[in-house]
Amino acid sequence: MTESDDSFADLKAQQPVLPRPFLGRLLYPLMENRRTLAGVLSWIGLGIVVAFIVIAVLAPILAPYPVQGPSAIVAPKLQPPSLTHLMGTDESGQDVFSRVLWGAQTSLEVMAIGVVLALAIGFPVGLYSGYSGGAVDRIILLVMDSIYAFPGLLLALLVAVMLGKGVFNIGIAITVIYIPLYYRVTRNQTLSIREEPYVEAARGLGARPWTIMWSYIAYNVLVTIPVIFALSAADAILTAAGLSFLGLGIQWPTPDWGLDLSIANTFGDIGNGIWWTSFFPGLMIILLTVGLSFLGEGLNDIVNPLLRKERA
Amino acid sequence: MPRRSSLFAYGVTRLVMAFPMLLILLTVVFAVLRIIPGDPIYALYGGRAPPSVVMAQRHKLGLDQPLYLQFANYIAQVFTGNFGTSLGPIFGGQNVLDVIMQRLPATIELAIGSMLVATIIGMSVGILSGINRDRIVDVVGRLYGTIIFVIPIFWLGLMLQFVFAVDLKWFPVNSRFDVSIPPPVPITGLYTIDSLLQGRLDAFAVAVRHLFLPCLTLGLVLSGFFTKTVRANLLRTVGADYVEAARARGIRRRAIVMRYAFKNALIPVITVLGLEFAILFAGAVLTETTFNWNGMGLLLVNSIEVQDYPLIQGTIIVYSFIIVIISLMVDFLNGLIDPRVRY
Repeated sequence: MTESDDSFADLKAQQPVLPRPFLGRLLYPLMENRRTLAGVLSWIGLGIVVAFIVIAVLAPILAPYPVQGPSAIVAPKLQPPSLTHLMGTDESGQDVFSRVLWGAQTSLEVMAIGVVLALAIGFPVGLYSGYSGGAVDRIILLVMDSIYAFPGLLLALLVAVMLGKGVFNIGIAITVIYIPLYYRVTRNQTLSIREEPYVEAARGLGARPWTIMWSYIAYNVLVTIPVIFALSAADAILTAAGLSFLGLGIQWPTPDWGLDLSIANTFGDIGNGIWWTSFFPGLMIILLTVGLSFLGEGLNDIVNPLLRKERA
Repeated sequence: MPRRSSLFAYGVTRLVMAFPMLLILLTVVFAVLRIIPGDPIYALYGGRAPPSVVMAQRHKLGLDQPLYLQFANYIAQVFTGNFGTSLGPIFGGQNVLDVIMQRLPATIELAIGSMLVATIIGMSVGILSGINRDRIVDVVGRLYGTIIFVIPIFWLGLMLQFVFAVDLKWFPVNSRFDVSIPPPVPITGLYTIDSLLQGRLDAFAVAVRHLFLPCLTLGLVLSGFFTKTVRANLLRTVGADYVEAARARGIRRRAIVMRYAFKNALIPVITVLGLEFAILFAGAVLTETTFNWNGMGLLLVNSIEVQDYPLIQGTIIVYSFIIVIISLMVDFLNGLIDPRVRY
């Protein structure tokens, strides 16, 4: 009796620490590493991203002038930056500063639709493909790799042409680029976790594949996703802006950074020495994408110990 | 097995494996263009054209046939090089492939120039970063790599135009050539090479001046990727045993970096070159639009504007071919340089 109890205690001592809740698994390393370079970078990145979310939410209050409707034309066109119009006015006489603030909403919406949908499709497919292996896995892998090799912007452009303009359609168009990315990361993680003893144990006890995939593997794959999430979000914002710049994304008068740059380019503003209509929208794109990249790369250095050793 | 024959075998395997990739890409393009909502004619006209016009266009393009027949026709067209004729106002009636081939050299010229800029700047910053690990040079180099990579190409292009073309007037604002003098007679289609072949140094200078800003723009953005890869791989090789051994023998640090570590650090860089080219061609579309550069990318954007469906499809197909050929070449180069890859 006592003997078996003791061996049971031994087994218990060997058990790994129970995983912390999801947000905890993310924030704990961030807190712990706040004094390292990677930690500082992540915190700066997180700060920038949160600031942009605040700007997007508070745009109706923060923006000094309206941006849609007939009352949006508030001044003579193409005024240089001044105290009344901090970033000047554009071709239609709208306040660039107000449009730039509102543009944060558009950008974040498109980006969120794009990456969340890509995750929602790429993750389950990757999980299934990695867990089941065999011919199915190889075929899905080949298809995904082929799509991944194709220039993302061109693919999104093609989908955007077919779907038409607008926030939701552009979100879907950029999803196509990131599905292979989420698929690959998920599949590779699943491949290695599949061989863990606890998964084997579950299989030995007769758990069905569905249960193993979703109850035992999914969670441990999901914790590696935030890095990819941040980096693909940065890329998604760039791609969406690129589509708008090519005239395929957001439609005027919706305020959007890429669209504002496109209008400035079409009217040849730069050639006429008018820099403020393109400089400020572009600056916002850069700030937001730099924030997301800092967050993604910082997290990567913290979370991924192998890379940390190499990069340090 | 002698070295050459195994390299040959490797090349053949790659070639065979490239075929399914091309087929998948072509199928994806087909799926996007024909299966998403309704059909391309509807998407392009957006319900503005009368039904009779739409029906006539659909019939002309064979879009009223069943999907499997359309797909068979499409694949047959692609592999016989017959992409149909343009429907747009500019190239109406011309062979699609001919139109694309006229524009291809401009894109190639831009791509080569940008790759040159990206390699020189990216490798220099990457090496400087790698050998000064964790010092201030390294921190600046890493920041450069991260920030330059997320700068929108069109924004950088417009800003460079403002500073160097509008304000300082060192370079022309946009386009491929001056209006005032005739461009060189096309032989290769690359203005720089053609003007040199014809001994026209004035035309060569003009071509280079026009190339400079677009190539700098695209090259700078691409260099971020190089910087990161070169730095990471240099760090890995600098810690390797053979480098330690070289140091123990008293070889100077610079010689070690250049002769031992750098060469091996290059191998993974070549592996990511394929991905780099994918970014390059996407970036070229934006660069061409910013600089009004008459290449394939601008052709694609313009044909979307005028709803020229055969030209849109043709351009995308040519892009697919280019991507597959480049990924083949990168694989082959990899096998040539690193014997381990071949087995």
